[in-house]
Amino acid sequence: MRPDAPPSPLDRFRALLDTRLGSFLPVLFALAAIWLYFGLARPMFDVAVGTEDEFRSIFLSPRNIHNLFMQSAVIATLAVGITVALLLGEIDLSAAATAGVCAALLGVLVLAGIPGWIACLTVIAVGVVMGTAQGLLVAYVGIPSFVVTLAGLLGYQGLMQKILPTGNLNVGDPFVRGFARVLIPDFWGVVLGLGCVAAYAYFAFRKRARRAALGLERESAVALWGQVLAFSTIVLAVILTLNAYRSLPLLLVLLVGITALLGWVTTSTPFGRSLFAAGGNAESARRAGFKVRRVRAAAFGVVGMMAAVGGIFGASRYGSVSYTAFAGGSLLLEAIGAAVIGGTSLFGGRGSVWNAILGALVIGSLGNGLDLTGASAADKLMVSGAILILAVAIDALTRPEAAGG
Amino acid sequence: MQLADAPPHLSARGISKRFGGVQALRGVDFEVARGEVMALVGDNGAGKSTLMKILAGAHGADAGEFLLDGKPVSIDSPRDAVSLGIQVVYQDLALCGNLDVAANLSLGSEPVKEGWAFLPRILRPLDDLAMEIEARRAIEKLEVRTLRSVRAKVGGLSGGQRQAIAIARAVGGDSTVLLLDEPTAALGVAQTRQVLDVVKRLRETNHAVVYISHNMRDVFEVSDRICVLRHGGNVATWRASETSPDEIVLAMTSGMERSGRNAS
Repeated sequence: MRPDAPPSPLDRFRALLDTRLGSFLPVLFALAAIWLYFGLARPMFDVAVGTEDEFRSIFLSPRNIHNLFMQSAVIATLAVGITVALLLGEIDLSAAATAGVCAALLGVLVLAGIPGWIACLTVIAVGVVMGTAQGLLVAYVGIPSFVVTLAGLLGYQGLMQKILPTGNLNVGDPFVRGFARVLIPDFWGVVLGLGCVAAYAYFAFRKRARRAALGLERESAVALWGQVLAFSTIVLAVILTLNAYRSLPLLLVLLVGITALLGWVTTSTPFGRSLFAAGGNAESARRAGFKVRRVRAAAFGVVGMMAAVGGIFGASRYGSVSYTAFAGGSLLLEAIGAAVIGGTSLFGGRGSVWNAILGALVIGSLGNGLDLTGASAADKLMVSGAILILAVAIDALTRPEAAGG
Repeated sequence: MQLADAPPHLSARGISKRFGGVQALRGVDFEVARGEVMALVGDNGAGKSTLMKILAGAHGADAGEFLLDGKPVSIDSPRDAVSLGIQVVYQDLALCGNLDVAANLSLGSEPVKEGWAFLPRILRPLDDLAMEIEARRAIEKLEVRTLRSVRAKVGGLSGGQRQAIAIARAVGGDSTVLLLDEPTAALGVAQTRQVLDVVKRLRETNHAVVYISHNMRDVFEVSDRICVLRHGGNVATWRASETSPDEIVLAMTSGMERSGRNAS
């Protein structure tokens, strides 16, 4: 029951965030603000006070953007997985430790002479098992996911130390290193981007035509062209910027590809619908006939899979596996932070895997920018904390009061 | 004594239910015909909710029999009830506020596109256009006029609209009997009006509606017959046109037997 008063600004904001594109706005705004600060404001400030002789934006140089994307890629991979758990209203604190175990296992396997692709598939399977095991405990034993995955975090950290007694292992396998090293030639990168834009436009307009044929409400053509334009601008800007330094790395293509697949599964299949339904109102979902327990266990399996992929990507990018880079470092909090900053609700039922990638870019940009300006590790931690609080505050404020129905 | 115009669609005879030391229902008779709204009223603890849950299969009856169109049936589980066409709308509505109207209406039985047979059903693409058309049809059938779009999130709707959507979901499929548990309990005047209109539409669509309520004004507005329970037993059943709120309240509270005007 709600009085028919004119909507307050908060209501309007909520309604905006509920639309598919509107949910990107806060994180895009945060990203733009960070980039403007480090890319324009900071260098101009330096010129004004005389610490620099001329305006130079190191932050927005193609080389740094390339680094930024690669730095954010591992965070993004984990964040995409964690988003799936968050959609259910669950949390996974063990993702980074799972990634560490998988990366360490990968290092040991390729060192033992097992072909890279077999090793990769093996660790992905291991990651799925590690995640699903926790999911079964959450779903069937009824332990809160916070506790299960906290135990998982500790246990998997220990497991990683068992696998890597020295805490460090170099990974030289060409297949594994290939993810980060293989570059898509400039020309084919642009072709790939144009292909994505064409596919986006084709599907958007085909859907609109079908809706029109069935007499359903539909978006205006102008709005649709606007979306296509925005999409193509972002895609081509990214690809051309990366080409200006080195070219599009295979790792980023794979990350976007996996995210697209997961994005499709979470929004356009009965499984995805059950994720959102159970995240919004688990009892309703159960009564509607969804097997909520199975869905919960499967969601943690997906988190485990993405953690394993993140482990592979990390090993590929660093050329080594170390305890501090995965299980023992800041990766976990960065990944959860990325998912939440992206706009996925901690309360369940609201969010998207694409937002996680943008959230990871926010976290990555902050770290990178603060590094460039010579900020201390302490400053980085404090700024990251402030951004995270801001994101969670937006989440709490925009949460519909009546989550049930 | 059979005064109903139509033969009963669902009837329950001699239903008893005991919870530990409490005899919740003692040999209750109940019936509802198609195209009829049967109100089920009674004071707190009279057994209305227990009877409704037994009809919905959520509780098993200790004794008694069920007849559907005169044929004996058993209702031992919610699944039994659903397969017999009996649907319940509980007070909490069981909607997902974060999903839109169309998604809520098809929740748990989403249509999927054809031609993806190589994937398990749970990973096949949803046919969201079919979902939307089906939702619009269901909403139009119940004449929920204030609802602007089936793509609106349920969390942003009014209480009356949510109640209407929960009812629309229960009506979907092959259901013939609808059990409504206090559908107007938390609603304001305008919202209540909207829900009562939907209930009246259900009579026109030839559903058998069981309407549980405390509110005498609502009961007398929508129902054809009124069944009063007291202390887990029948008091009597009246035609709404032949009784008054005072008489019903008296029957609820002191259980006066008015066999001469009994309409069951």
